[in-house]
Amino acid sequence: MTDATQVAAAASSRDPAVGLAAVASLRGLLESLEELQVTNARAQGWSWQQIADVLRVSRQAVHKKYRRFGF
Amino acid sequence: MFERFTEKARLVVVGAQKQARERGADAIRSEHLLAALFAVPDNLAVTVLGALGVDRDVVEAEVGKLRPDGTPIPDAEALATLGIDLDEVRRQVEEAFGPGALDRTRAAAGRRPRGHIPFDRTAKKVMELALREALHLKHNYIGTEHILLGMLHSATGAAHDILVSRGVRQDATRIIVEELVRGRRAG
Repeated sequence: MTDATQVAAAASSRDPAVGLAAVASLRGLLESLEELQVTNARAQGWSWQQIADVLRVSRQAVHKKYRRFGF
Repeated sequence: MFERFTEKARLVVVGAQKQARERGADAIRSEHLLAALFAVPDNLAVTVLGALGVDRDVVEAEVGKLRPDGTPIPDAEALATLGIDLDEVRRQVEEAFGPGALDRTRAAAGRRPRGHIPFDRTAKKVMELALREALHLKHNYIGTEHILLGMLHSATGAAHDILVSRGVRQDATRIIVEELVRGRRAG
């Protein structure tokens, strides 16, 4: 990223519309990546406890969130 | 209600859904109906708007400007402000999990409006008022011209504001519609 782009990014992120949208998009990306990784881990035979440990959340949290995926 | 719509008016409704989806909107709003008018060839609403000096380019420019108020900023653009290159993330993920992996997740599907996008309050209002306009003009069908007139009632959203800002007035438009309808088939 060039200096000019960084400056532009820093300036524009003071606009709540841009800054909040960035957070929302980041959250969306996070959700997609987590789902992919949890799916993959289950496919490779990981237990909910193992997944939870690496994600640094409780086993209940990860199980509750992904049990509807049927794995 | 839709059974009284002309073929072209139906195409406008279908087109509005396409407009909303392409613009990443989570609902069909009045401005999507307005933009959709210009995607249906040879319709009365566009003829009337042309006579009033409003063409496709004008509407595209105005609807495009609405984004910060209504339609969300696209993810790639929003993430770029944080220095995250979404295309690169997608490329890396697809390398590990296969083509389309990131966009195929349920999380992504939940965020992206698919199939049916609902009409928001302003678009519903336009359709209701289109029906009322048709009744008022004693027309037994709802055509693109009635959809246009529906937009011109006050408090019906961005389409109304765009048209009014361009000097399009309800009473004048109604007169032009009545004259044109006398001269040609509905559309």
